[in-house]
Amino acid sequence: MKEQVLKKLQVLADAAKYDVSCSSSGSTRPAKDGALGNAARAGVCHSFTEDGRCISLLKILYTNYCIYDCAYCINRRSNDLPRAAFSVDELVDLTLNFYRRNYIEGLFLSSGVVVSPDHTMERLIAVARKLRNEHHFNGYIHMKAIPGASAELVAEAGLWADRLSVNIEIPSENNLRLLAPEKNFGSVLSPMNQIHQGIVVNKEERRKFRKAPRFVPAGQSTQLIVGASPESDFDILRLASGFYKQQQLKRVYYSGFVPVNLNDSRLPALLKPPLVRENRLYQADWLMRFYQFSFDEILDDNHSFLDPNFDPKLTWALRNPAFFPIDLNTASYEMILRVPGIGVRSAKLIVTNRRFGSITFTHLKRMGVALKRARYFILCRELPLQLKEVDPVYIRRKLSPSIQPKAVQLSLFEHA
Amino acid sequence: MHEMKASSLSLVYDGSYDGFLCAVFEAFERRILPQALLPASRPLQLLLGDQQMLETHPNLAERVRKGIIRKSSPRNASLLHVAFLSELPGVELLLLRYLVKLFADAGGRYWQNMLDEEVFEVVQIARKVKKEVHRFNGFVRFQETADGMFFAPIDPDHNIIRLLARHFRTRFSGQQWIIYDTKRNYGIYYDLHTVQEVVLQNHRINFNAGNVAGEVKALDEDFYCRLWQEYYDAVNILERQNHRQMTNLMPRRYWKYLPEKNKAGK
Ligand code: SF4
Repeated sequence: MKEQVLKKLQVLADAAKYDVSCSSSGSTRPAKDGALGNAARAGVCHSFTEDGRCISLLKILYTNYCIYDCAYCINRRSNDLPRAAFSVDELVDLTLNFYRRNYIEGLFLSSGVVVSPDHTMERLIAVARKLRNEHHFNGYIHMKAIPGASAELVAEAGLWADRLSVNIEIPSENNLRLLAPEKNFGSVLSPMNQIHQGIVVNKEERRKFRKAPRFVPAGQSTQLIVGASPESDFDILRLASGFYKQQQLKRVYYSGFVPVNLNDSRLPALLKPPLVRENRLYQADWLMRFYQFSFDEILDDNHSFLDPNFDPKLTWALRNPAFFPIDLNTASYEMILRVPGIGVRSAKLIVTNRRFGSITFTHLKRMGVALKRARYFILCRELPLQLKEVDPVYIRRKLSPSIQPKAVQLSLFEHA
Repeated sequence: MHEMKASSLSLVYDGSYDGFLCAVFEAFERRILPQALLPASRPLQLLLGDQQMLETHPNLAERVRKGIIRKSSPRNASLLHVAFLSELPGVELLLLRYLVKLFADAGGRYWQNMLDEEVFEVVQIARKVKKEVHRFNGFVRFQETADGMFFAPIDPDHNIIRLLARHFRTRFSGQQWIIYDTKRNYGIYYDLHTVQEVVLQNHRINFNAGNVAGEVKALDEDFYCRLWQEYYDAVNILERQNHRQMTNLMPRRYWKYLPEKNKAGK
């Protein structure tokens, strides 16, 4: 029996790993004295995989059997591979015992589709319900809303889970239909919209009755695969921006396509996942979420892909030299945020501390500002040369060599 | 406040925060900036000049603590304590210089001024310590013993064990646990009611490997540990291998007690 659980764990953890999200943040499920667990607002990483990703949740599939045949997915029905399915009790037991040993922050439960979306969703719900009701488990639960599952089931899932996610996977409707014949945008968007509505209504209820049960307190997220289909970065950011604005998603995850299924003519022949592109998309996503950039400032019809050599904030600055130089001693927080090399923390430090005196180079260095980049865009005492205007060609040349070797190292590293 | 004069004297305290605060009191009384301010446990051979071992008086310490709160805020006072727990060489003198400026400050906002070198340093060090606390909220690994106790050895850079108490007390209020600093040889023990400091005697734990001895381990302990190790290996994506990033986020010095990084030993 133990050996069996071990085998299932190997198969079903391996099959779950391509879902990149693992965050446990954003929820505040309070502890109850004597009961097990709580959810901390700032997520906690319990370990890091050899590929450098945070392990926060026990990320696992209920089963890797699937009636669907999505081209990009290792678990599609046409693949001949070892299949397994956990029982509800096995998953509950695993979660509790991992949690008690502080291996994990909670459970991230997903699944291939067996029998029907509703049947699958019911199994996932049964695990979460048992954890919450019978074992008084207050740790974090992230559950997949299975596309096509009924509204009632999605609503129940939201009562047990901290976070729900529905993955869009392919960033355009046409290509989604091509690669996942059984899916379409509607089957993803309708649960997403339902969850969004549920959260809005729940917030209202909780304002009136503090005791009203929480619904998806950590919000929802989605994932899309980068490089399995030909959409541009501009298309991707536009889609993500819509998710943040309309469905108010907490996170969009970008997963560089790992070619798990060879010999499928619908898919590009990639030698390795597009990790640099993925990284640039995450940087652009940060600009949208924390730096008050809109997607069409980062890219536009004439620039539809992110520059692999420069981070998107620097690229924006080089395309908008008239915005600079910025005087750190007088400029607004929003403007300071736009300076390449200045992050959220240093921008805040600058704004809250300049009343004590003027900000110097030494201060900036201490605050962790990347002067190598920032120096070309700011006015500041002690600056060796006082900038009158910003020259993109000059800066590009100055900054290129220092960025080039890094890019080379990165790709060497990927081969290793 | 009059100038503090540099002195070739070294003040030695007992290593506790109270002891440190008493040393601060002493320095203020004599209006000196000692050449060193050290816990008794740190070797002193290299120091020239006189040394003086100070006694710890809790009420003196309390006076200094109250003074700090009066001059700044309770939160800031605990920030200084956190920075002290870094145990970084020289942190005591840094804090003393900070306190000299704090107590001399008429405006009442000295401690908020991050342009000041000492303020910035102290905040920075406290951040480092808190970062390690946050890391250990994740890196603590319990082993279950046959009598239902959960034991976790740790070996952090900074003296963070007391700072872990609240998180684990909240999360694991229904099980008895011990988190033990094997380097500093003390730990915290939660007995289902309160958290107390403990020093283990005659224990059945191998501090090198961090294992609880076989005969006191819970029956299923090895099984779950093995499942975790297998899980760790299974979620890795070979095509994305990025060892450097992994070691940046989880530096090698923290691997000692992580079962997933010590598979062979199990
Ligand atoms: S439905 Fe999900 S598990 Fe099934 S093939 Fe598609 S992506 Fe894979």
